[in-house]
Amino acid sequence: MSERRRKVVVVPCSGIGKTYGTVTREAAFELTEHLRPETTRLVPLSLLVLGDEASRAAVAQNPTVTIDGCKLACATKMVTENGGAVLQDYDILDVYRRYKQFKPQGIAELNEGGMKLAEALASEIASLIDDRGLDREGGGQHA
Amino acid sequence: MPEYLETTVDKFIFRVAADRVYSGEGLWVLAEGGNVRIGLSDYLQQRSGDVAFAEVKPVGATLSAGDEVATIETIKVNVVLPSPVTGKVVEVNPSMATAPETVNQDPYGQGWLAVIEAEAWDRDQAGLLSPQAYLEVMRREAEEEVKKL
Repeated sequence: MSERRRKVVVVPCSGIGKTYGTVTREAAFELTEHLRPETTRLVPLSLLVLGDEASRAAVAQNPTVTIDGCKLACATKMVTENGGAVLQDYDILDVYRRYKQFKPQGIAELNEGGMKLAEALASEIASLIDDRGLDREGGGQHA
Repeated sequence: MPEYLETTVDKFIFRVAADRVYSGEGLWVLAEGGNVRIGLSDYLQQRSGDVAFAEVKPVGATLSAGDEVATIETIKVNVVLPSPVTGKVVEVNPSMATAPETVNQDPYGQGWLAVIEAEAWDRDQAGLLSPQAYLEVMRREAEEEVKKL
């Protein structure tokens, strides 16, 4: 009998015009489009802010990972305010401290360092999902 | 706990600890016997942004006032910090290597950078600003920054 699978929701920072915000979104794209397209889905923070019902339901009913672009932690706060349980929150500055060799620059278009940082973060999240079974019914524990 | 002078510029609130003096670049200097402890002012840390990395000159390094004593890399900029005093570094805050965010969290306390054995304190002190004088310098700078937003 196969295990029931569920989608892990990823909510990145929506900071526009900020390098580190862009990194969070690129990481989310890499995860949801390339690394784990079958078991993850992206929910834009802007839709949560606007009160979009489908987005609110998604974070309330699925395991959620947030990626914050600064200490304001808007992604984490909005998921929590919308009834979601954040299983893991990532602070992009902490991630960068682990990958100092990948210095992000640019905003609309990240430099190579920024893209590599995003890829490294996406890989970390994919490993987290695998290790903790977040995409399996009953899998995962709160961070 | 030191007392603070406080000013609001636009939506930003900046505090200046009243128990120490300041360089024009925004470093605070707190005399401790023959040594001085240094760190970033609240204004400088807020203007610079969240600190990702901080590198402080090692213990034993000798500095003239104006020499680089530390660099911080923040989410926005890289900042070279000039030493406000002449002397020798005798202690470096270990948190700068492991938790540099303390600069943002507690700039006047746990977020200190280094302790320097001051060799020309009387001379250096004359070139530093009182809390009230720094508050005015900082307010003018902050107002200019806000105009750019």
